[in-house]
Amino acid sequence: MQHRRITLEDGRYLVFYTFDEETAAAASSNSNETIGAEELTARRAEPDAEPQATEEPGRV
Amino acid sequence: MGEWVATATHRQARTFLPPADFCPLCPTKPGGFPTEIPEATYDIVAFENRFPSLTPEPPAPAVEASELYPVRPGQGVCEVIVYSPNHNSTLAQEPVEQIHQLVQVWTDRFRALQSAEFAKYIFIFENKGEAIGVTLHHPHGQIYAYPFVPPRILTELEQTRAHMDATGRCLLCDILAEERRGRGERIVAENDSFAAYIPFFARYPYEVHISSTRHLQALTDLNETEGRDLAAMLKTVLAAYDKLFNLSFPYMMVLHQRPTDGGDYGYYHFHIEFYPPLRTATKLKYLAGSETGAGMFINDTLAEDKAAELRALVVPVVWEKGGAL
Repeated sequence: MQHRRITLEDGRYLVFYTFDEETAAAASSNSNETIGAEELTARRAEPDAEPQATEEPGRV
Repeated sequence: MGEWVATATHRQARTFLPPADFCPLCPTKPGGFPTEIPEATYDIVAFENRFPSLTPEPPAPAVEASELYPVRPGQGVCEVIVYSPNHNSTLAQEPVEQIHQLVQVWTDRFRALQSAEFAKYIFIFENKGEAIGVTLHHPHGQIYAYPFVPPRILTELEQTRAHMDATGRCLLCDILAEERRGRGERIVAENDSFAAYIPFFARYPYEVHISSTRHLQALTDLNETEGRDLAAMLKTVLAAYDKLFNLSFPYMMVLHQRPTDGGDYGYYHFHIEFYPPLRTATKLKYLAGSETGAGMFINDTLAEDKAAELRALVVPVVWEKGGAL
């Protein structure tokens, strides 16, 4: 399992998960993502600090 | 009354049952309607809900607290987990391999969210079907990171701790042993790592619980085999549900894991609970006066009878790559 995290234009994060036979078995130990209060605070304050989605994020 | 209630008035404006062409959880096709997911395809996606009940950096409460009425910011995280790019699918219809991938994503999200200092409980769940009140049909679930341990979990924790104190044993392990004893009349299905059963104390007619055979507290405790076995057990139960009345069976599915507040919860036992609202093909189990006003559920059925119905519909789960379980 591999994952790729992007930040949408409104500051929310989105994580894509992809799988293939080689990485699936190691899925449970692959993540290095942490969500700490400081990290979330920094992201909210400076949304441009992380890669931006170029597409319009749409609506729910 | 000792319980918190979240007020999130902006959620009144959230998208409600949009036509399939404007589903916000579908991939964004080139030149097409821009959805929440800005790529043409994906396996599984997790993202922050656009209309969250709780946010990592909440605004100040809209009303002031009083001595009688405490208020606090609605801090937390609300994620949406999209199971598949296929709008018309359901978790039951997905191959077991895809469900196994979802188990891995759940585990990864649990691990990631529990690292937030404010996250005291990570709640993974799915509301499926209009009978439950879903606003989007695209197959998806949700994860809430609460800033406290919610009341239903607290009750389970209190009961499991009391049982451990009184007997030295895990309550869920004892329940599983009791269900397996004799003819196993309430067992729906079993594999090497999990058992699915309608518990003796079921509140809904088709309330299935899936418990791990091994005493563990959270998804992060699963080994690789147990992860595959959990996927197979989910597929087994969901497929039986859909065959029951030959319709896409509505349910609430909730994962009960240990809190993430740093406490010692070695006495707790990971399990999954399903609360289907149907009691027949056309009749709903309403939460009426006794259930809602007093917390006393009245079940019109016997767990033994309903388990037998589901057990008769269980078929082996076939893995495309790697045999059957």
